[in-house]
Amino acid sequence: MSSQSQRVVVTYAAPLVFLSTDHWKQIHASLVSQLPLRNLHWKSSSRPTIRTIQELDIRFVPLETLREDQTASQIPQSVLEKPLLNIYVFICEDSESYKATTRKQIKDWHASVNQRKNQEWLLVHVVRPDQSVAQGRLFQMKTSVLDKVKADFNTDKKDRCVQLVWSAEKDNPAVWADLMTKIKEGVLSAFDAALTQREEEVRRSEGQRQMPGWNFCTFFILKESLASSLEGMNLCEDALQQYFELEATFFQVLREKNLSWFGPLITPSGSDDSAPLLSTTKKPYRDLILANTISVFDFRVYLLARQCALLSKLGDLEEICQKTVTFLTTMARTLRDVEDTLPPLFIESWQYSSALSVVDQCDEWARSIEMGKPALTAFNAAKGELVELARQQLDVLGIAAGHLPIRPPFSLSLPSNYNTAKESQVKDASQSLSNAELASALLNKEAFYELYVSVTNRAIELYANAGRRKFALKLHGSLAALDVHRDRLSSALQTYTSLPAHYSPHGWTSLEAFMLNRALDIHASAEKPRDREWIHILLHFLRAYVDDMGRDLLMNKEDSEAYVAHLVQALNDAARIDTNNRADTPSPDHTALSVMIATHDAQLAETRDGSLLRVVVHNKLPCDIAVDEVEVQLAGRENSRISFSERVSKLAPGRNELTLFCPSSAAGTYTLFSTRVSIARLHFEWKHMKTLKQIRAGNMPILVHIPKDLKALDVRLKQPPRIELGMSSKVMVILSTGRNDIATAQVKLTPPSGIQFKYEDAEVSGEDAPPIRSAADSVTFLDLKHGQTVVAIVPHSDASAYHFMRVAISVEYVTTSEPDITRTLNLSRVVATSLPVAINVEDFFRGTRSVTCLTDPLYRLFNIWQTIHALHPIVNIAPTRARAFDAPPVAERGGRGKGDELYGSEATITPAQPGRFLFQMDASRGQVRDPLKLQISYRMLREGEFPSRLFRLESECVTHDFTEVESLIELAVEEVVTETPTLERLRQDMVDKLVQALETDASWVELYGVTGELVVPGVAPGDDDLGTGLRRVLEILNKRRLPTSFGEWREIVIPVDVPQMHPISALLTVQTSFHWAPPEDTKVESYMMRYDIEDLTQDWLISGRKRGDFLAKDGETFSVPITLIALHHGELALPKVGVTALPLPGEHRMRSSVVPGCETHQVHGAEKVLVLPRGGRTTFVVNMGAANTSM
Amino acid sequence: MPPQLRLNAVAFVSPQNHPILIRTFVQGQDELKYHYIAHTSLDVVDERITTAIASKSTECYLNLLYTMEDVAVYGYMTPLKVKIIIALALTDAVVRDADVLTIFRALHTAYRQSVANPFLRLNAPIDGYNDHAVLLAAGSPKWKAFRKRVDDIGKALQHRFILGSDSGPFPLLSEEIAQVLTS
Repeated sequence: MSSQSQRVVVTYAAPLVFLSTDHWKQIHASLVSQLPLRNLHWKSSSRPTIRTIQELDIRFVPLETLREDQTASQIPQSVLEKPLLNIYVFICEDSESYKATTRKQIKDWHASVNQRKNQEWLLVHVVRPDQSVAQGRLFQMKTSVLDKVKADFNTDKKDRCVQLVWSAEKDNPAVWADLMTKIKEGVLSAFDAALTQREEEVRRSEGQRQMPGWNFCTFFILKESLASSLEGMNLCEDALQQYFELEATFFQVLREKNLSWFGPLITPSGSDDSAPLLSTTKKPYRDLILANTISVFDFRVYLLARQCALLSKLGDLEEICQKTVTFLTTMARTLRDVEDTLPPLFIESWQYSSALSVVDQCDEWARSIEMGKPALTAFNAAKGELVELARQQLDVLGIAAGHLPIRPPFSLSLPSNYNTAKESQVKDASQSLSNAELASALLNKEAFYELYVSVTNRAIELYANAGRRKFALKLHGSLAALDVHRDRLSSALQTYTSLPAHYSPHGWTSLEAFMLNRALDIHASAEKPRDREWIHILLHFLRAYVDDMGRDLLMNKEDSEAYVAHLVQALNDAARIDTNNRADTPSPDHTALSVMIATHDAQLAETRDGSLLRVVVHNKLPCDIAVDEVEVQLAGRENSRISFSERVSKLAPGRNELTLFCPSSAAGTYTLFSTRVSIARLHFEWKHMKTLKQIRAGNMPILVHIPKDLKALDVRLKQPPRIELGMSSKVMVILSTGRNDIATAQVKLTPPSGIQFKYEDAEVSGEDAPPIRSAADSVTFLDLKHGQTVVAIVPHSDASAYHFMRVAISVEYVTTSEPDITRTLNLSRVVATSLPVAINVEDFFRGTRSVTCLTDPLYRLFNIWQTIHALHPIVNIAPTRARAFDAPPVAERGGRGKGDELYGSEATITPAQPGRFLFQMDASRGQVRDPLKLQISYRMLREGEFPSRLFRLESECVTHDFTEVESLIELAVEEVVTETPTLERLRQDMVDKLVQALETDASWVELYGVTGELVVPGVAPGDDDLGTGLRRVLEILNKRRLPTSFGEWREIVIPVDVPQMHPISALLTVQTSFHWAPPEDTKVESYMMRYDIEDLTQDWLISGRKRGDFLAKDGETFSVPITLIALHHGELALPKVGVTALPLPGEHRMRSSVVPGCETHQVHGAEKVLVLPRGGRTTFVVNMGAANTSM
Repeated sequence: MPPQLRLNAVAFVSPQNHPILIRTFVQGQDELKYHYIAHTSLDVVDERITTAIASKSTECYLNLLYTMEDVAVYGYMTPLKVKIIIALALTDAVVRDADVLTIFRALHTAYRQSVANPFLRLNAPIDGYNDHAVLLAAGSPKWKAFRKRVDDIGKALQHRFILGSDSGPFPLLSEEIAQVLTS
């Protein structure tokens, strides 16, 4: 018996005559077409809020079809069993006919209806459309009929009479609005009354719960009638609430263990295990409940099914799935207690079938529901859980039937108190199970596997749609496990190797390790070659293994250490197998090994070039690992890299201390860049570089300090001592071999962009020059002895855009003692490219003689020195004779009052004090056409590698890159050694000690900068020979430095382009006229005048009297000869001549001297002189075409 | 019928979904299962978080996540997004949220107290980001004290069941756990 199809019943009645007319049929049809009712608002007294019923379907039946005696049943039915509203429809045209017939009819009907409990009634007066006679009369009459009806029947306040104006527009909602409102009102009020009464009954019954004789089942049926009533009114939520309350009561009863109202826990019938779970009609549940014979199992299934049915109406399919999952699992647990009484594998079969049937049922329901994306996702997830539940049952069934092994992941689904099923049970089960698919799968292995895979895939798909990746991963894992069991190793391997990647990113190493372990096992059992892929799997496994989490568990081997040891050995073997064919296999950031720097100061190797670095290698594996090499890379300035390495045979578990060697280590401070442990071509690598962000966060890079090896090969760059402007620039490459006998040393210089070194033109200077080989990009020195210093001069293209040139030097050298090691030294040196002095030249010519004046204005470089650097920028200039000119300096005004000294003297020049040198050159004895060159010898008082020094001083951090101070120390030590030759053997010790002291403390810098005194801090000389020596050295250093310690003499040769002169003789004549003199001045015969030739220094050199005074007389002419020398060719205007009168002697007017007025005009003022270029030297560049063109 | 809340396993998961600690209290059970449960739960936890964000809820308790064979998995997220997942043995009785919440609060306290240890930071890299979960991450030797605390809670719960009580669910549970925590 079902109450599902319960609908609200509304009866209708009408006079029999009227019922038979077509007119009634029309009205009936129209009325039905207006249904269902929409938007009912139910305001219940027992509920706080107004419930809105969107839509309510109504069964519209004639009154006489309902039999009264139906209500006689004792079983509480839905309140909707009885009609809620009775309608009487009548037509009455006038009061007379109403009085005559209609009133009687209505009275009869009203009498029968009015008495009914919880039912409402409604009178509908139909006004015929063809009744339209006279408006006024009609209107009056109509009202009168309705009024009469109201007066007769509608005695209380509630208006139960309504008029239906039956017009042609029968579908117009306006026509029906009134009636519909009334119907709604009637239905709701009747329902409210009925429900209130029923609720009261339920409450009363519930109150009697503790009394004897109370029966849960009776109560259940009573309360369920409430639910079905609410459901009939489409108030599903309220109906559901009733069931929830029932469920709660049930659990309470269950807790009280008062189950006398139920039958046994379960009375399994034949098809129980496969019946659709959510069907409320598969068993006559209500009858069973009424009979008090329902089993708890059936009862709960019924309760669930009813809830789900309501939920489906609410569209909450996700909830249905979740509820069923919970129900299936909890119920299964309960059933386990009585498992012995059940057919074998009943529970599993029931869970399996139920879960799948629920999914199907939900899909069925879902078809009519429009779901949004989030709802759909949740629904998929819930369905996935159901399907997975079914899959878990398959695990159990499979294990029971022997199709699956009892081990993870299959065994994970086994209930905790699982007993292995006997074979006979399986046989029985295959007979007893009503799910044919399952039954056959139990017997047929292949069918089972197919079922297993399809169900699993279904779950995976659902999970994937729901975005539950991790669930899907787990199921993939189980599919792989099945593949293993079915010996489909390759596909299993594929899955197992791809799965760890999903677990590792979040550190789920336990699961990762499990997968990898599986993969390795399969690899082994499949006897696949141990290839690169295998190595990767193994490396991942070891990584997971060294993590504590991985070691904790999931090792299916007894002795995991031995197992790992075996694997490591295998790894070693695999890494070495035909290494030639394999490319390098890097394994970044593996956690099994780690390399750390033990000491941050590298040691010098002493006996050979290079340095030693102590590192600690941690091996976290429980066994030895055979390796080949450990390497540490350090990064220095400007991306230079050096690498320390050592060949090692094996690393023991735990701490291994190693000393690594780097044959070519430039001194400096380095950061740890990367570390590497290699097994053949398998490289464990770790990067240690820190990003800027990390450094800002306080995660500092690891620094390694490499001391300077004074006896190692070194390359320096210098400006050559003789610089000749106009010639190509050169740079001196100074290579000192130190302790090494060098077989070859290839030097490559990398200049800043835009500059090229011309290695082909490199020359070696000095005596005992070794052979060199120049290539396009390098110069190679051959066969050098130890302690030798070679200088090569390499020309380079114009670098005047720079003051300094930063040159990266890379030296590859091979020593004769270690011919198989090619050492690479990468250095960065700075060499000055600009001149330390600037020279201005001015020329004056007198006949055959010319005077050159050199001035040395402020030089920008010195400015830098002065602002940043507190050093003495003093330059000595010793001007020398220019060739082809006998040019003794006639005067020299320069720094430090040496102005009177003559040729060959020295002057100290500072930026503040430029030197002026004057040369008189007599061309009478030489060839004027020879180019004139000026040779300047100078030496710097201070010299050094400026930018590095600047940098150093700015940062107050003393590095060891200070050649100048070192040479000072060397000189001082040299001096001491010459004094006491016994100290010779301690020479290097002394230097080292002093250099080291300077490096550790920067306090000497300031004093040294100002005074040049070098006070070495922190050296406490002992009483031995070394101490004596040191003391002496310190004394020497403490003195103000002698000029001998200044740099060597250098030369600059500057070509001075003395113009070739063709003097033009000219005569300046001034004609004077007093014609325009004022009358009072006619008596004056002459005036003193002054002429002045304008000095056009750009165009003309003027020789002779440029300016002079003369006596001007009326009509007379004054003339003076001058010589003009054109300074350049072209059309030059003649120099302007200005003539002014001088004040009259002795005459004063208004206390100021009197100046006669005068006007001057230059006769040749606008004339220009064409100066032709000197000599004819013209260069034509003719393109001859490329060498290999087909000319 | 006393409620049979039986704690099978506990998992702490960092805000970045890294496992911090996974402990099982069931003898003879395969730990793999609970690792799987902890891992898969994260999917559900994420779903819950999404809905919680949508509804602007700040509730820590994430309710029942899902049930599996014989365990019910519950989730909890601390205000600092550390996820605590517990697996309770499945019972047929109604499990009261308040009881589950008591367990979660105890576990949360255990975690808080462990993380509060200032020495955890002793050798930690100063990475600038304040994920304290990293300090306790799985496998760290500093794990021990924390593991002990969690185990104590597990034991306290089990002890409770062995004694049995008809006087309602967990009248003393909080105090007992509090005792364990302070001892």
